[in-house]
Amino acid sequence: MQRRPVLILGAAAALAFALPILAKVVVDQPAPDFTLTDSAGKSHSLAEFKGKTVVLEWNNPECPFVMKHYESGNIPHQQADATAKGVVWLTIGSGRTATADNAKQNKAQGGKGTAYLLDKDGAVGKLYGARTTPHIFVIDSQGMLRYMGGIDSIPSADRSDLKKATQFVPQTLAALASGGAVNVKSSQPYGCSVKY
Amino acid sequence: MSSRFHSVGLLLVTLATNAEAASWANVPHGRVELVAERTTFAPGVRAWVGVEIAHDSGWHTYWINPGDSGLPTKLEWKLPQDFHAGEIAWPVPKRFDLGGLYNFGYDGNVLLPVAIDVPSSARAGSAIAIAVSAKWLICSHEICLPGKTSLALKVPIANGEGAANATAAPMFAKARAMLPTIAPWHGAAKLSADRVHIELSGKDLPNTAKLDIFSTAPNVIDNSPPKISSANNRIIAEVAKSEYLQSVPSKLTLILSETAREPPIAWKVEVPLGPVLKTEAGFFLNR
Repeated sequence: MQRRPVLILGAAAALAFALPILAKVVVDQPAPDFTLTDSAGKSHSLAEFKGKTVVLEWNNPECPFVMKHYESGNIPHQQADATAKGVVWLTIGSGRTATADNAKQNKAQGGKGTAYLLDKDGAVGKLYGARTTPHIFVIDSQGMLRYMGGIDSIPSADRSDLKKATQFVPQTLAALASGGAVNVKSSQPYGCSVKY
Repeated sequence: MSSRFHSVGLLLVTLATNAEAASWANVPHGRVELVAERTTFAPGVRAWVGVEIAHDSGWHTYWINPGDSGLPTKLEWKLPQDFHAGEIAWPVPKRFDLGGLYNFGYDGNVLLPVAIDVPSSARAGSAIAIAVSAKWLICSHEICLPGKTSLALKVPIANGEGAANATAAPMFAKARAMLPTIAPWHGAAKLSADRVHIELSGKDLPNTAKLDIFSTAPNVIDNSPPKISSANNRIIAEVAKSEYLQSVPSKLTLILSETAREPPIAWKVEVPLGPVLKTEAGFFLNR
């Protein structure tokens, strides 16, 4: 009954292929280097943290998803825990909503990251394919990307979902610290869109 | 600044006295209402209700696959015993371009239709209460707000088809026109390391000049617009693979939308995905 699909795959080769505007980073590949200025005007590059595990967290303090994870204490708790263990946590504001005020707001919301970096032209956000706030990337001490995606496993703006959700950052950091395998290497990023 | 968020979590309950007298609940940046297609429901039939969202200008809510950000609207029903509500019959979404990021959803007025199965034991002469708790994310190009509300409706049970709800009829007609029809085409999607190649063939293929393609499942194909062409009675679509694709599904459910029309005309087609070439198997096992 079912007819065989007619496929002429050779035709594909003749087509120019449209690439998405956002670049893509690949888990278990080297994380691309970047240099950004923090809210105090100090320059930071990813390369300077070689030898340390680095968490990149895309942020916009006015986004309700970000507020969920800050006002509940979820992200600040993870930041305090990670930085106490020598992990570098870089919170990044990308695009037209990124202002020095965001860093102050982030601190007021309980932010305890290593630095708040500003990426006003969105170049680093696009380099990493950061699309939501929050959006997480975890880079190991050798500069390899080991996790990318959502902050946790339940895409919602409801604080009540936090206790049921798997928190991917602590899980990834624990695996890297023990030299074990990272089980969940990517998950759906969820939140507000980054305003490029 | 935080005053913008005061109304988040606002719970509004609207109780109408009959199916026709549903009323709007004002919510941040829009209004929502629960409506029934007919003024009465007959025992043993599939009846239709819908949650209508009227977005303020510049604001949108999301489709089942929201795209690069956002969340799909969720409905939770409270119905009398033996009544059953189906899933949202999603009208074809619109593509929103947020500067290289893409969202799929709705602006303006949209009705999200849901089928209600009325048990044959429903007693004519009685009236039933239908309640729904709706949750959504409403966004402009600048900001997003989660919203929720509870809506309720009373519908009399009566034998016979029941009169059309005149107020709601235009929105049901528009939503029906926006429901993808099952396309008689066949085809396949082939996955390579970084892209998905889709081919469709069959009778009466749509014009590719103003055609868009969406996947109902998120994180399979990239959300940027596919490159679509046609040749020899085939439609060929090339799109990047989603970098968040984890386990490869055996099939893709695609929605094709002819966006030149308002509302757009849409088709639904299911195609097998894969097989993944042997040379790529290791790559996927490592994901």
